[in-house]
Amino acid sequence: MIAVKSDSVRTRILEIAREVARAIEEGRFPRLEYPPSSQSNIEFVEGVGYVFKPRVFSEISGSRVKSVKTLAAVLYGLSRALDHLENGLTMTKRDFYYLHKVERLKGTLFPKDQSETDARIVLMELILGMPREAFSITSDPRGWIYGDIELVDRSGRAIRADRVGEMGYSVPPRPENIRFRRIGVKAVIAVEKVGPAKNMIELGIPEEYGVAIAILKGQPSRSMRRFLRMLSEEGVPIAVLTDLSPWSLRIAATVVYNSIRSAHIPDLATPEARFIGIHTDDVEEGFFKDYQFALEPLTPADLKAAQDNVNLPNLQGEFWQRENRWFLRRKKKAELEIFKAMSPSAKKLKELFVSYLREKLSEGLGVTI
Amino acid sequence: MSNNIFEIERISASDFFYRNRSLAGFDNPVKATYTIVRELVENALDACELAGRPPKIMVVLREEGPSGGDGSSVYRIRVIDNGIGLSEEEIPEAFGSVFASSKYRLVQSRGTFGLGGTMAILYGQITTNKPFRVVSAKDGRLAHEFVMKIDIENNRPVIISERRVSSVKGPLTLVEFWFEGKYRRARRKIVEYLQQTAMVTPYADLLFIDPDGMVFLFTRSTDEMPPPPREAKFHPKGVDMELLRRLIKSTRSRTLLGFLSSSFQRVGRKTAREVLKLAGLPEDANPKSLSDEDLSKLFSALRTYDRFLPPDASVLSPLGPRLFEAGISKELHPEFIKAVQRTPSVVEGHPFIVETAIAYGGEIRPQGEVQLYRFANRIPLLYDVSSDVSYLVAKRIDWTNYGLKSLEEEPIALFVHIVSTKIPFKTVGKEYIANKPEVAREIELGLRECARALKAYLFRKRRAEMLRMRYEIMRRYYELIAEIVEELTGERPPVENLLGKIRR
Repeated sequence: MIAVKSDSVRTRILEIAREVARAIEEGRFPRLEYPPSSQSNIEFVEGVGYVFKPRVFSEISGSRVKSVKTLAAVLYGLSRALDHLENGLTMTKRDFYYLHKVERLKGTLFPKDQSETDARIVLMELILGMPREAFSITSDPRGWIYGDIELVDRSGRAIRADRVGEMGYSVPPRPENIRFRRIGVKAVIAVEKVGPAKNMIELGIPEEYGVAIAILKGQPSRSMRRFLRMLSEEGVPIAVLTDLSPWSLRIAATVVYNSIRSAHIPDLATPEARFIGIHTDDVEEGFFKDYQFALEPLTPADLKAAQDNVNLPNLQGEFWQRENRWFLRRKKKAELEIFKAMSPSAKKLKELFVSYLREKLSEGLGVTI
Repeated sequence: MSNNIFEIERISASDFFYRNRSLAGFDNPVKATYTIVRELVENALDACELAGRPPKIMVVLREEGPSGGDGSSVYRIRVIDNGIGLSEEEIPEAFGSVFASSKYRLVQSRGTFGLGGTMAILYGQITTNKPFRVVSAKDGRLAHEFVMKIDIENNRPVIISERRVSSVKGPLTLVEFWFEGKYRRARRKIVEYLQQTAMVTPYADLLFIDPDGMVFLFTRSTDEMPPPPREAKFHPKGVDMELLRRLIKSTRSRTLLGFLSSSFQRVGRKTAREVLKLAGLPEDANPKSLSDEDLSKLFSALRTYDRFLPPDASVLSPLGPRLFEAGISKELHPEFIKAVQRTPSVVEGHPFIVETAIAYGGEIRPQGEVQLYRFANRIPLLYDVSSDVSYLVAKRIDWTNYGLKSLEEEPIALFVHIVSTKIPFKTVGKEYIANKPEVAREIELGLRECARALKAYLFRKRRAEMLRMRYEIMRRYYELIAEIVEELTGERPPVENLLGKIRR
């Protein structure tokens, strides 16, 4: 991602406003063209992930009743963004929603609910060709990293990610401003769930084995994905550790390939990252083979997700589909908490974690711990 | 003009009256009150149209006191019109005997039984035993007043007093008498009747003052009157055996050939010869000496012969789309009105013309039921709507084809007017029209033509509405766009020019 300076955002917004003004002055209905994030503009490239390639363009035409509202909405959204930008203020999606709940927009853009204004943020991204953070809308900052990594972020302070509390460094909304000063870890293990990740930290694994633990807390946020990509670009091997479930397949694939929803935002995929489990092999004949009694049944929603996975572009690879077929066949899932079912003591738990990670990091990334 | 007139002429008028109380509309005090008003108003309208003058009719009904035990009251009714008027000599005969005006003629007329108000007067006399009063004068003449009774036994007038009224000049006819009735329960029907009469008589002024002092005024909206109906001879397909017998009795022809060619329309000497050949009767036979058998032969020959030209429709006097629309509009104030006059057609040997209209919106509101107004020879039909052919036709049309949800849910009223020398009523009560395919077809075609006009109107209206809303939306958003662009660039773009380009 090219870090967009606010100056060029400002230029771009004013350009759009002037274009609209010029059309009106010349007696033309103004129109805005943009590449929609539709299938035809998204390509899935193995080894790279989703790539946004604008081929088809949509038009917001000021001559049609249906799109004149969208035109006004985009202009209004851009004007608010510019105002925030110029005053060094950020806003959340919720803030953006509230910026529409104002007296002057009654009878025009006053929203029914937040989904209306959320959709306009995506539209603004597509029109400007910039991620929302560039025009001062921040995504939910979610995700932490714990380990021997020293960095400087927008606060200007040097921070060590294993010296800032029990969860580590909280990844900020706009990680592209971060500069790495020193990276003392052999690998980063991105863990889907908070509980097991915290256990690894509490057991001292990062310090003892020279790894960093990244806590995703479910589907990773954009900022977390961007941050992992940056670490990967620094040469750090990235491993992804999740449940064995239809949802977790998607989480792993999102880290590696990006997602359709944010396909128009570049630099969110980390193609070099490796998904290190839990794999079906681990359950059937590997690490967990004697613990099948601890598997959970799939819920109806889980099963539906597995059925949908059959058609997801970023899960079309042989590996992903083989994994997914297992859900459809066995109707079971394995959660990371299965380590607890295997360990009568804390000491045993640490051994299990370490032996699993040792095997998987070596196998997947050639990293020895 | 109805043919049973000729039969009953042999019995006494009061016998006939008693036997036919219900079909004459006097079956109970409520219905009798309604029928009296109706008969007198129709009589008055006919008198005015005969004079070619826009009618001005005033009806005053006053309660004079209670009557017997059944809750009835005694009322005095007075009806004044500016019709043709009667001379001093004509008055006693015109009002003092029943059926005085019957003739052998074929004409489109209002009167249900052709008896006019005389039945009403007779009812009044029977229920109160009071004489009636008539004041009348032709145009520009001085009026005469008669106080009379009807000698029921002998069917002739009994004059009680008579005088010249020097203070009143014609044209004018005033009829006043007492009767036993029940007004309050008849009121709704009476007012409905008057309003609907006003719809099909837009050139009439009608004033009604009821026993409670309420004044109902229906003002005319035009001076234009439809041409008066002409009289014509009967069409051979339109006679029955009894009428044929009557026609023979009154003919002056000495031969059957002469009788046929002079008594019927569409029958010349050539046609008459063919009919007689078909009947196997000699052309020179004297019609008055026909045996019953010969008469039957003649009658069935008239029935069988299939080359008569259709009956002459020029005797009919429809209202015409313009007057029909004017009448409906002045009473109901719709936003849209369309009336259609169909070409003449024939049912049972009688010509008829159907006129239809559709009114939409304005002061018409959805009623949750079909709003259907029916008229026959310019009289409203107020009873048995759901049995009427017009109702059946209205129900079988798919109104969604015309951009309407349904008749029940829309602000729409339908109007069907049939004029004929013999309206094909279904029953003796003469309140609804039979489901004859010929009639149903004409009604359907007429209503559909009106509906097409309504559809086009609604389309234009909805389109205009759509354009207006579209403009309003564009205006609001461009105002906002102008504001935002001004905030961003410092200059307000001239959106007014752009808005001027939007179709409104």
